[in-house]
Amino acid sequence: MRQVAAGEIGGLENLYDRYHAAAYALALRITTESALAEDVVQDSFLGLWRNAGRYAEEKGSVKGWLLAIVRHRAIDSMRRRRNGTTIADETDEPLPIALTLPDVWPEVSGRLDAEQVRCALQALPEAQREAIEMAYFDGLTQREIAAKTGAPLGTVKSRMRLGLVSLRRGLMDIAGGSDGVGPADGASGAATLPWARPEGEG
Amino acid sequence: MAIACDRVRDLAPGFVLGALDPAEMAAVREHLRSCSRRHPELHELGGVVSYIGGSLSPVEPPARLKAAVLAAAQADLRARPGRKTVSDEVAPAVPEAVPVLAVVEGGRSAGIMSLAPARASRIRRAGVWVTRIAAAVAIVGLVGYAVVLQGDLTRAHTALDNTAKVYNSIGQPGAHSVVLTPPTGQKGAGDAVLLPSGHVYLNLHSLDATTGDEVYMVWLRADGGAVTKGGWFTVDDLGEGYLEMDNVPPSDSLWLMVCEEPNSGVGEPTGPVIVTGTIWVYPPPTTAPTF
Repeated sequence: MRQVAAGEIGGLENLYDRYHAAAYALALRITTESALAEDVVQDSFLGLWRNAGRYAEEKGSVKGWLLAIVRHRAIDSMRRRRNGTTIADETDEPLPIALTLPDVWPEVSGRLDAEQVRCALQALPEAQREAIEMAYFDGLTQREIAAKTGAPLGTVKSRMRLGLVSLRRGLMDIAGGSDGVGPADGASGAATLPWARPEGEG
Repeated sequence: MAIACDRVRDLAPGFVLGALDPAEMAAVREHLRSCSRRHPELHELGGVVSYIGGSLSPVEPPARLKAAVLAAAQADLRARPGRKTVSDEVAPAVPEAVPVLAVVEGGRSAGIMSLAPARASRIRRAGVWVTRIAAAVAIVGLVGYAVVLQGDLTRAHTALDNTAKVYNSIGQPGAHSVVLTPPTGQKGAGDAVLLPSGHVYLNLHSLDATTGDEVYMVWLRADGGAVTKGGWFTVDDLGEGYLEMDNVPPSDSLWLMVCEEPNSGVGEPTGPVIVTGTIWVYPPPTTAPTF
């Protein structure tokens, strides 16, 4: 990233060689159109190129940063197409949300591959996984998910919270790490995290 | 909408997934800007979210995408204000291409370009850059498209390297350039760059492939003088043409015309004009010259 920040094309080429397939897979999953996905990926790498100087290593991996950009731009393009609305203007919100959030377990991330993350996602209860995927891949808000699934808004919020907490625990288990909040109780991922209380489930 | 830390904790899952209503998203951001307390829930859940995108099986995009990404980055690099070169400062704006269909005698008018206000000059320079960037993107896009059709990465890399050579040379001190354009309704376009050493880079795209003895001939005319051969090149089905010429005599203006000729032995332009353009070393006349 230092090379990219210094304006060295070779640095960008290295990043492209490493992450292009993951970036394209995400863009294609969100947009479902190859031409649009190509535009998104190109735009995302260009965004990374232009903003490389703002990358902070302690706030997450380069891959995480890139995928956050891809997701942001892919969802933005789909929203434009759907109803003309966009995600927050770049001048107002220059970086996708995830860019401002550090990876929880930097030492763990290197030990997790796509298959393991997929397994952790598949292990979630279907309703929780659906809520997370509709938000992440389809760019839907909790309110939109509630309307689409017919579930109460509180239930959608609860599913999203429990799903993320369980996913976190699942990833930790796979990677053999510890989340530092005590052993899993096996009943609810939320129970071991003081801030992760369920709301309105049911 | 001011909210408390407890409310931020409630909204954390939706926030890290970007799934809150716009007002709630804004409220959380506003809170985080002013709150001195830690919000570990955001970090922990945000970290989880960052892995979701990586759960997908990798999908290989078309090969052309890499060329497009790198070309776009190069164009961006050239457009950065800090990359402004000496030639940008002293070179006049690139004039409109002259739609010449035949070489006839004639001189350029004696008028000198009046000094335009600085703002207009900046706008023109910006226009030149926009044109260059657009041309670069178009070139690489076409290059990439042909790569997929042909499955020939080697040729694509060569074409990309040639494009890069031209755009790198634009940034050299004392370099002057022109966007070469076709007669109305015709295809083919590109760039030419003249260095103070008399070296010329020329890169064209969207050309028809040559067959047999056919060549694309570059004809030069310095300061309205005699038309001379600059050199020739052939084109394959990628449609890319590239030529470097040496020892081009110094002049105030260098007019270039690329014609499709039946062979490399012709002594004067005979074939259809593909593109033309004039490189102005000194300020061009206020009106387009007639050749």
